Amino acid sequence: MFSLRYVARRMAQSILVIFIVYALTFFALFVLPGDPVDNKINNPVSPLPQETADGLRAYYQVDQPLYVQFFLHLGRLLRGDLGFSLTNGKPVSELVSQALAQTLPLAGLAFALTVLLAFAIALTAVFAPVAWLRELAKAVPVVSISTPSFLLSYVLVVVFSFRLGWVSSIQDEGFKSLILPAITLACGAAGALSQVLIRGLQKAAGEPFVTVLVAKGVPSSRIVLGHVLKNGSIPALTLLALTVGELLAGSVIVETVFNRTGLGYFTYASVRDQDTPTIEAIVLIVAVVYLSVNLVADLLYAALDPRILAHEAATRAPSKRRLGGRIKGIKEEVAA
Amino acid sequence: MSALDQAPPQGGGVGLQRPTTHGPAGADGTAASREVSRPAGAGGVGQAGLAGAAQAPTGRGRRPALLKGLRALNSGWRAADWVAAGVLVLLLAALLVPGLLTPYDPLVADESQILAGPSAAHWFGTDYLGRDLLSRIIHGTGRTLLGSAVAVLVGLGVGTLLGTLAATLGGTVDALISRVVDALLAIPGLLLAMVVVVSLGFGSLNAAIAVGISSVATFTRLMRSEVLTVRNLTFVEASRHIGGSPARVLWRHIVPNSFTAVLSLASLHFGTAILWISALSFLGYGAPPPQPEWGLLVSEGRQYIATTPWLVVIPSLAIGMTVWAVNRLSHTASAGRNHV
Repeated sequence: MFSLRYVARRMAQSILVIFIVYALTFFALFVLPGDPVDNKINNPVSPLPQETADGLRAYYQVDQPLYVQFFLHLGRLLRGDLGFSLTNGKPVSELVSQALAQTLPLAGLAFALTVLLAFAIALTAVFAPVAWLRELAKAVPVVSISTPSFLLSYVLVVVFSFRLGWVSSIQDEGFKSLILPAITLACGAAGALSQVLIRGLQKAAGEPFVTVLVAKGVPSSRIVLGHVLKNGSIPALTLLALTVGELLAGSVIVETVFNRTGLGYFTYASVRDQDTPTIEAIVLIVAVVYLSVNLVADLLYAALDPRILAHEAATRAPSKRRLGGRIKGIKEEVAA
Repeated sequence: MSALDQAPPQGGGVGLQRPTTHGPAGADGTAASREVSRPAGAGGVGQAGLAGAAQAPTGRGRRPALLKGLRALNSGWRAADWVAAGVLVLLLAALLVPGLLTPYDPLVADESQILAGPSAAHWFGTDYLGRDLLSRIIHGTGRTLLGSAVAVLVGLGVGTLLGTLAATLGGTVDALISRVVDALLAIPGLLLAMVVVVSLGFGSLNAAIAVGISSVATFTRLMRSEVLTVRNLTFVEASRHIGGSPARVLWRHIVPNSFTAVLSLASLHFGTAILWISALSFLGYGAPPPQPEWGLLVSEGRQYIATTPWLVVIPSLAIGMTVWAVNRLSHTASAGRNHV
């Protein structure tokens, strides 16, 4: 297994990256001409009640220079205070947790479907008995990546809501309403994942251990499902964080189309209203999710395939005897 | 995205016993050591496989004879590639001579033809003002493709510059650029583009620039690792030893040789840029009406989805076909290049 120091180093790196994400979004959003907070509060189109506006102005200290505001925001963030929305004066943390409660079941279902779909495509592309079926499955990932998510969403809405009338397009019907948006999200996210899986499976199928298994007379179904699949799907772990990020960002379009009020719709509305504290909170949350999943995926990756960590350590400090022993062990394992 | 960034070659049919020589599996960790897997030496694929594997152990055949290159490219083409090429030719025509393809003006409303279905006169029907949808799609091609070109140029330009700087200067500059790249990669591309578009203000050019900025990190990371690899190759060392100045070695040898992989990433990003820009204008952050931009066409058709679904489906299909054609050909081209 990996050392505690490795884990600590990776966590420190992630925290630094989160800080940079926060700083980058802060300066990107607050570099706008004029003060975005002040502009928004004074917006003549949607006036806030006087006391709310005064409260917000005092809270954000809009008369202070930018760097003072930055450290003010940062200090509040460290105490868990995400600020208040500029459109309605409600606490951002409350709004975000409401939105997350809507989006998490959707993202969870979509993730499960993505993994299922990606494995189905990849297994067909590599091991289907007929050549044309393999070729067809190999063409699927590019189609999936190229399809705009609103195309699939609207086709599903037209077919299943309007023509067949199976799911309401307006009402929230619990789990039933999750299915169509989850399918849309999964079809988009499965493209990249299945591409990596196809490459992983092809590589694993060409490894010498397969020849040994064939020579030993192991049936090919067991070789594929028991050995090749296990070895070939490890590289796909590196796409885990990317897939989760894609599902969260992709929900912006999908939730708009399916009239859901989750994180995606909340993002859409905050960007439309230029509600900067809210946008900042959303970016921060998505980045934290991305980095956490990425960290877990990297640790899992190293735990499942220790050669990676050993290789990393070897390139870093090749002289250590401890590591040398580990690499020797792996070489023996590979030779066997 | 990232699976695409690594430009995987289109593999041939692989049975159980047939060994393949694919490059190391792609990875998207933040660790620098497994940043980029070049599709190097992806021989053994397709018809040109045997010759390719023997000739290109490094997968870096620079500037081959044009004829040879074309033949190799050609031999790997399948029916789908010809369809994709056909789509691109149509797009090019719509970009250059939109007026020759359709008699209708994309902005002129016809009150007698409001929300008419597809017919011989209006192949794709008409919208809520009676404007011809086909004409609006054709006239929107230029705006959509130019927007993506701007986005790719921004990403490619800034990314190449930052990547080269990080790799050649090293030290603090490298650490700083690399951490910022890590941070940008932690935000999903579409979300990042939305943040930037809030900062720049809504509009079609700003949407394109925002999409470009959101892809800077990917380009920077690839260029950095390419320069780091090429810099240590023997021929670069040789030109340093025969007295080439650092600037000359960088400009004449390192940058041109690092650029191929970055260019193939750019061609893949062109498709993504089309998708993201149309997503931004679909959400209303891009081109303002009445411009015939593809994402905006979809958004305008939304209100009539129950009665006239083609107003949404046809422009979406146009976007999907275009992105597919670009992606398909850039995959084939990068697979073909590795055979030469």
